[in-house]
Amino acid sequence: MGHFSWIDGGIVGLYIVATMAAGLAVRKYVGKVEHFLLAGREMNLYLGIASLAATEFGVVTCMYTAQSGFLNGFAGATPGVLAALAMFFVGLTGFCVKPLRDAGVMTIPELFELRLGARVRWLSGVVIVLGGLLNMGVFLRTGGDFLVAVCGFDARYLEITMTALLVFVAIYTVLGGMLSVLVTDFLQFIVLSVGLLAVTVLILVNVGWGRLTETVQTHYGPGGFNPFIHPKMGWEYVVANGMLSLAMVLTWQTTIQRLLAAKDTQTGRRVYTRTSFFFLCRWLIPAVWGIAALAVLTPEQIGDNTLLAMPKLLSQIVPVGLMGILVAAMLAADMSTDSSYMLTWSSVIYNDILAPFRKGAWSERRGLLVSRTIVALIGVFLLLYGLWYPLRGSLWDYLTVTANIYLSSMSVLLVACCYWKRANSWGAAGAIIAGAVVPIAFLVMEQLPATRHFAKDIIGPHRSNIATYLCAAAAMVAGSLLKPRRPAPKGAES
Amino acid sequence: MSEHWFWWTLTAACVGWYSTVTVYVAIRGATDIRRMLRRLSG
Repeated sequence: MGHFSWIDGGIVGLYIVATMAAGLAVRKYVGKVEHFLLAGREMNLYLGIASLAATEFGVVTCMYTAQSGFLNGFAGATPGVLAALAMFFVGLTGFCVKPLRDAGVMTIPELFELRLGARVRWLSGVVIVLGGLLNMGVFLRTGGDFLVAVCGFDARYLEITMTALLVFVAIYTVLGGMLSVLVTDFLQFIVLSVGLLAVTVLILVNVGWGRLTETVQTHYGPGGFNPFIHPKMGWEYVVANGMLSLAMVLTWQTTIQRLLAAKDTQTGRRVYTRTSFFFLCRWLIPAVWGIAALAVLTPEQIGDNTLLAMPKLLSQIVPVGLMGILVAAMLAADMSTDSSYMLTWSSVIYNDILAPFRKGAWSERRGLLVSRTIVALIGVFLLLYGLWYPLRGSLWDYLTVTANIYLSSMSVLLVACCYWKRANSWGAAGAIIAGAVVPIAFLVMEQLPATRHFAKDIIGPHRSNIATYLCAAAAMVAGSLLKPRRPAPKGAES
Repeated sequence: MSEHWFWWTLTAACVGWYSTVTVYVAIRGATDIRRMLRRLSG
């Protein structure tokens, strides 16, 4: 086992051809910028579920969730439980997402301009794109590492393989925009789901549930099942991940893009509630794979990099035929995530960062040309950064740090923008600054010898994350109350 | 021991729910795509 045969190659080739054909077939329906960025707001419920699930499950997701299961046992899937609860709560109540979708905006920063002014819109766009691009920067390398570990591909061909894959994705995303993304997401969701479920059943049959729980009990004791008594977790971990989950559901632009592309607010909210359980699946299923790697592999086989433990297990137990389905599933996961992320960050650049430079209305033709150019440039960035940046330490830590660059401040801004009449541009600026300063200060303290012990052992990353959200909220309140109130002329900045 | 059952139940629910949703979304999602493209071309 562990060999990538011609049968597997045939399955993967068939998947890539079908995806490219579907992605290119819908490009003729793109006539306006709104078609390109939001599929003309014609996305219905089940297509929305498939697209949201495919977008938010990439190879990178599978890798960090499996690593979390490997390092923490079942308690490592706690963020998945919290994300599912947050998603269900927001969809059910319409908290923030109802006023956001009702406003008819294309992006979150566009909503901010209505209440907080044009400068806040531009600054929010910059913060969102910065966090988003750094976050997706490691996707390509991680996907390549997975393929090398699972299939035994020659690492020398990694760059050329991943470049070809990215070019395929860029072609249909540049030409078809959100329409191509939705149609290919649908295909990719099916391929991805078949692969995930087949491998999960294989692991449960081969390794057995009893051996999985026994392994967690042996390595991590009761803490491997309960995050509150896990030595590296505790209540701070649960609270910090709860805040992160709620902020992600409310403001992670790739998730919000599905809400904004939905045909109406009710459909968008139903996409959230119906997809909420998937956010548990995307953590727990790979975590079980990671625990299986801990149960089956020896320390010598695992080596230093725990991120590659799960792929090494799969290379040993997945038979020919199923290997092709698994690789196609993981390519589907990677391609659906890459295409959505490229389109999403380009929509913020086009709609918000370039807004001050779009004096006078651009024609649809010019708008489409600029949007497509931005998607292509993001593809180039992804290629250069992804193959250049050497990831050290926990992948989940890297992703949470880069995401927190904007999640804390943007979630505070969104809640205040929707529900607090006194919110204004001073408060928004304070929240953005506080949301960036606190995590950066923590990272600096971790590096300085004089403060390293205090930062790592006394504060810790979870308390730092909680403090980031609390400081951003406090800065929003203080800044808004400090700004002198005066009757503003209609349509002016608040 | 109750925590073992908690995670066993969640894992079984994930596999069962995910299998069902995949089949259902595959059928209904195809209809959604046809409807979306028809409306965009009109």
